[in-house]
Amino acid sequence: MELLGRQETWNITYDHALGETASWFYTRIRDEAAIYGRRCAKTNHVLVPPRAFSDETLLPTTEWVKVGPGGRIEAFTMVYERFNNLPDPPYAFGYVLLDGADTALGGYFKGIDLTDPHQAAKKLAIGTRVMTTFSAVRKGEMLDFWFELDG
Amino acid sequence: MSSDRVGIVGIGQSAFRSRRDDASYPDLVREAVVLAMHDAKMELDAIQAVVYSLSPDAMVGIGNAERLGVDAVGGRSKPFLRINTGGATGISSVAAAYYHVASGMFDVVLTAGADKVGECGDSQTVLNKIWDPSYERPLPLGTINMLAMSGVRYMQRYGMTEEDMARVAVKNRRHASLNPNAHLRKVVTIDDVMTSRYISWPIKLLDCCPQSSGGAAMVLASERFIRDNNLDAVWITGVGHAAETYWMGDRMGNNPTAEHADAYALGRSFEKSYRMAGITDPAKQVHVAELYAPFSNTEYHSIDAARLVARPGDSVPRLRDGEFELGGRIPVNPSGGTLCTNAIAVTAMARVAEVALQVWGRAGDHQAKGARLGIASGNGGDHQIFGTMVIEA
Amino acid sequence: MGFRVQPGVIGCSIRPAIVTGQRSLEEIIYDTGQLALADAGLTIEDIDGIVVASNDQFDGRAISVMMASGSVGGVDRDIMSTPSASEHAFVLGALRVASGQFRTQLVVSWSPTEVSSLAEAQRLGADPYFHRALPLDELSAHALQAAALEHAVPGARQAADAIVAKNRAHGRIAFPTPIMPTGAGPMRWPVTPEMTSTPVTGCVAMVLAAPDFIAERGARDVAWIQGVGWATETGFLGDRDLTQAPALAAAARQAYDLAAITDPANAFDLAEITDATPYSELLAYDALSLCARQDWAARTGDGSFARDGRLPVNLSGGVLTWNPVFCTGMIRIAEIANQVRGKAGVHQHANARRGLAHAGSGFAMQYQAAVVLGREARS
Repeated sequence: MELLGRQETWNITYDHALGETASWFYTRIRDEAAIYGRRCAKTNHVLVPPRAFSDETLLPTTEWVKVGPGGRIEAFTMVYERFNNLPDPPYAFGYVLLDGADTALGGYFKGIDLTDPHQAAKKLAIGTRVMTTFSAVRKGEMLDFWFELDG
Repeated sequence: MSSDRVGIVGIGQSAFRSRRDDASYPDLVREAVVLAMHDAKMELDAIQAVVYSLSPDAMVGIGNAERLGVDAVGGRSKPFLRINTGGATGISSVAAAYYHVASGMFDVVLTAGADKVGECGDSQTVLNKIWDPSYERPLPLGTINMLAMSGVRYMQRYGMTEEDMARVAVKNRRHASLNPNAHLRKVVTIDDVMTSRYISWPIKLLDCCPQSSGGAAMVLASERFIRDNNLDAVWITGVGHAAETYWMGDRMGNNPTAEHADAYALGRSFEKSYRMAGITDPAKQVHVAELYAPFSNTEYHSIDAARLVARPGDSVPRLRDGEFELGGRIPVNPSGGTLCTNAIAVTAMARVAEVALQVWGRAGDHQAKGARLGIASGNGGDHQIFGTMVIEA
Repeated sequence: MGFRVQPGVIGCSIRPAIVTGQRSLEEIIYDTGQLALADAGLTIEDIDGIVVASNDQFDGRAISVMMASGSVGGVDRDIMSTPSASEHAFVLGALRVASGQFRTQLVVSWSPTEVSSLAEAQRLGADPYFHRALPLDELSAHALQAAALEHAVPGARQAADAIVAKNRAHGRIAFPTPIMPTGAGPMRWPVTPEMTSTPVTGCVAMVLAAPDFIAERGARDVAWIQGVGWATETGFLGDRDLTQAPALAAAARQAYDLAAITDPANAFDLAEITDATPYSELLAYDALSLCARQDWAARTGDGSFARDGRLPVNLSGGVLTWNPVFCTGMIRIAEIANQVRGKAGVHQHANARRGLAHAGSGFAMQYQAAVVLGREARS
């Protein structure tokens, strides 16, 4: 029995509206090399990345609050496997609670030797202090910044 | 709750494998449906409504692929709708079928689906697209590294080690070796797991679920219909869903409501199911559990969330003591679980199916002795939507 | 068989997204959900469960419920998703209330226009085994159906033109400031540009509740679900007789049985029909037993279905007036609910005691649903 196959590729492009909140956040990254969060009216929490409303209280957020550039690592991982359309391994990324924020922001961790996972995991342990580093030339996107170990 | 319960009268599952080059996607659905109808001893025309179980279309490579499955489920001119809650889809579909019957509108409902994850070029590429384009899509997020980060926090909070993770894989592979429908059935040792390559630290290759292809189907009926037709059945006595925040960073930081190390909304979902089923002390009342855990570390927070142990984190020493293996106090994933078989669109349905078989006394070589009350769970999205059920003999 | 508990609609919000770019999709969904709750006089705390519906390929998100769940109040709440059709979220929400296990449900659906080509996204719905290479998007499928009807039913084209004129006239009243550029939409012969409208972004949300909740809250503007039916055609177009709509006939039977309706043509004060094309509306007249095909030419010609006719159809202007592709089905249901509740605004019918909503979606109306809503709990 001859079994045939057929290859298909999904190739669709999207133009997503970021809305005013996310747009402003990115213009601050691009023009000021600074990260801002939004404060929730009810809990007073500063939400980073910023949103127009809190998904917990369903209330609109109220004001912009500058956060960072220092922070602490809340979660991390080092990826050693290759996946289609994702970066070449190894790389480390995770979440950082920037100073002044109440929720953590995702980003890459750079400048760490990842050859020995156990050593790398010690360096990236939860609670480690990091500093936000910005690209010299910025477009206004998440990859304009990353985190490096502080000190 | 009302006196008219909803029962499960038929179950069908494929023998899951990496690839099924012999069958198209609708063929796989049909295969499971035929098995379930045979098990229920009914013809397809007895089915009054259909709930179709299908998670991301991109895995199957067909937009709204359920439309092609209409004939496979005998759905022409019948009430038909599809459910997608990511990895929880299968259990959400059984829940939706449950509501069809509980509504009073239908006596007999079929739920079915299939997946061909092994044919999708790369499931992690597709799964990267579940994150929002505004902020998180540019990060290399996938379900593996998302749950690796959960593991990192669980290690820090409760002292779980990589050996503890390996223990879960060893247990589940041993269980899968006794389950003819499981995909990965080869027994492994702790050393095998510990020396397998890192995917996303601390998760290694043998800590991961496979990409499976196959189908599953179940037939549900009203208690009245079951009684009137003298059918054999087991009963869905508890159902619930709960979601937590989509934002992973909100599950960290200062006083998060949902902690990323744990499975907060899974716990909330179990609270609903337990309340409905009248379970007040799960650690004593539950006999067997099929908990959705595609990576070894996630079985721990699932056991914690199901309150099969006194405190979060206790699952680690308890598993080490053998409590959760076949022959132990509460076998968890006696089928081998998601870790050994993961056809995403129906994985969570297989959890319900397996628990049903257990309390029915029909689980063959992987039967938990004397099981009469069991629980099942499914997780979807970025560890975000959770469905749970209680099934009883 | 019937509802254990009869659900009623107590709040709606229909949102054409007129200004795009200002709010992200999730923010639009949030706004719409909040408005529906406000319309019902409730807050999210009153909601026991949520069902959402959207198309992953339109949204550009592989599990669309995931990010939207926060917007609709899904955090720490019982939420499910039916991506097959917007009307299916309404159906599942109604079943959950009918089970007696939920006192309220919020159901939400949306349809963005962020994908570079909706047609391209829709074409991915064709199976890769036999049909993917064909230019088969939803409009093409509607056109195949239109061609089949023109061939089978004399006068179908004229009847279709009359429906276009009717729905445009209704649309001008419902939306004095047009939502979108009027005039030509896409074309697939025999469906002309005048018969279609360019897709736009939209969102719709409804609040359903059980009688005891409604009584407790003293909610007055209620549209009771007197009947509901839904069904599907088979997947391959070639397996179907495109001149017929057996799934809609089955769905209508189910809805009419529940509502104890024996003479559908005279049972309703008004109707909303998903006019993906005017031919879809014609076929629905037939399958819903409102007007048999041999009478299409006469009834569309004599104003029976116009604003001041015997059975006004699509006072909202229908899909022809604004087309948020994926959620057009739930919008028809919300429109009738609003009419029955006296909340339809500018295009309110003077005496809407009972209305019929038809929802159709997919290739050549593969999914069909019929909902009977009325001021009285029992017909």
